[in-house]
Amino acid sequence: MENAIVIKNLTKKYKNDRGVFDLNLTVEKGEIFGFLGPNGAGKTTAMKVMTGLSHADNGDVFLNGFSVRDDYEKATEKLGSIIETVTPYGYLTAMENMKMYARFYEGADEKRLEECLNLTGILKFKDEKVKNFSLGMKQRMGLALALVSNPEILILDEPLNGLDVEGMVEMRNLIVNLKNAYGTTFFISSHLIHDVELTCTKVGILYGGKLISTDTTENILKKYSSLENYYLSEVGTNE
Amino acid sequence: MNNLKAAYINELFKLYKKKKIYVAAILSAVSVAIGALISFLIKSFMGISALGGTNFPILVLPVLLNTLVSLFVVFICVDMFAGEFSANTIKFTLTTPVSRFKIFTSKVLAAVSFIFANLMLIMVLSLIASLFLPVSGGSILYVFSAYLVSVLPLTAFALMVILISNLTKGTTSAFMTSVILFLLFRGLELVFPAYSAIFFTSSYDWYTYFAAIGGYLNYGKILRLFLVQTGYITVFFTLGYTIFDKKQI
Repeated sequence: MENAIVIKNLTKKYKNDRGVFDLNLTVEKGEIFGFLGPNGAGKTTAMKVMTGLSHADNGDVFLNGFSVRDDYEKATEKLGSIIETVTPYGYLTAMENMKMYARFYEGADEKRLEECLNLTGILKFKDEKVKNFSLGMKQRMGLALALVSNPEILILDEPLNGLDVEGMVEMRNLIVNLKNAYGTTFFISSHLIHDVELTCTKVGILYGGKLISTDTTENILKKYSSLENYYLSEVGTNE
Repeated sequence: MNNLKAAYINELFKLYKKKKIYVAAILSAVSVAIGALISFLIKSFMGISALGGTNFPILVLPVLLNTLVSLFVVFICVDMFAGEFSANTIKFTLTTPVSRFKIFTSKVLAAVSFIFANLMLIMVLSLIASLFLPVSGGSILYVFSAYLVSVLPLTAFALMVILISNLTKGTTSAFMTSVILFLLFRGLELVFPAYSAIFFTSSYDWYTYFAAIGGYLNYGKILRLFLVQTGYITVFFTLGYTIFDKKQI
């Protein structure tokens, strides 16, 4: 299998000594990778470096074979992402925000934009200003934006934040459908371990800025009764 | 290149959707109208005729350059950088497949476009207003040149504000620092006139060297002021971009 995401010796240290240290990780094309870890483990830090929002102190990230540090435009050409909160321009409507994003992608016409808004369930609000959106609607908007480019890789940091139960189920189904239909690669961090178990094909646990374990969900569930037990066991041995 | 164009169109679109540019346009029109009214009253009651005709746009230019236009340059540039960082909307732009250099350049180009549009609007309005004032002669070509070349010192000022907006953490501190530095530079020019050339704000009135357009022009002086301004533009652009590129979200 070809690699979609390669993280090599990634180190990013903050003044408070937290961060990510010598992270090495590979995600193959078409995988749904679940990035687990307690608060402050460094998940968002790693994802920020992966999307170019932050710069690494050392190491690099390769998306579809292109370096995020040296070849940012090519690396992110087929990337969609949601990092922490979704912050579209509040004074613009949902469709205006989508059109701004679409200017960077060939073939992202109005039909495609409406399709993305429809997939995430906010098409009926397309002419409303985003400042009036709830947290869940903004999250759906963020996913719609991430889908505009017909992404081959989607990096989603806590994508279920703010979503209602119905929204969570829809999001889970959407992720699985995109993987099955287009072979989209996902890199997802979530605190909702049950959802990770239901969605992800591979799981990695980050603890204290270091990757302590990676395995396929299938293998994990052969050894443990649930992903939660695996997580607690791995984190517990490292405390 | 296409990505730069898309980023530039997005920046213009954001400007267009904000109320600030409409306020700038309305206040520019009101200022020109007030200026024309004052000119008319002075002519009517005091008999001073030096304010009419095509001289009126040149009379209005330094007043608005030093006040309204500079103020709105600060508003626009602070909003583009410090405003977007504090509202976190910059994340939207930074997660598009565009390098930070192109994003920075597109924002600078949008700010320069705003400056050009604002100056052209004031020029057209003041030319129209001058039709209703007693004519004392003057060159339309000089008026156009004066407004056009004024884009350069305002670009240097915009880049200084952009640099400050990337150095400071919030919009208020960026705004206050920019205004204070502008006033400080203008004040220092008066206190140390011999050294005024080192302050780029002294180039605000360099358009006066184009007054003899069509006749004798002091090319040496114009070239020197041009180089001083482009020097400031290069330094402010490079510093601004370097800090913008290193910013972490």
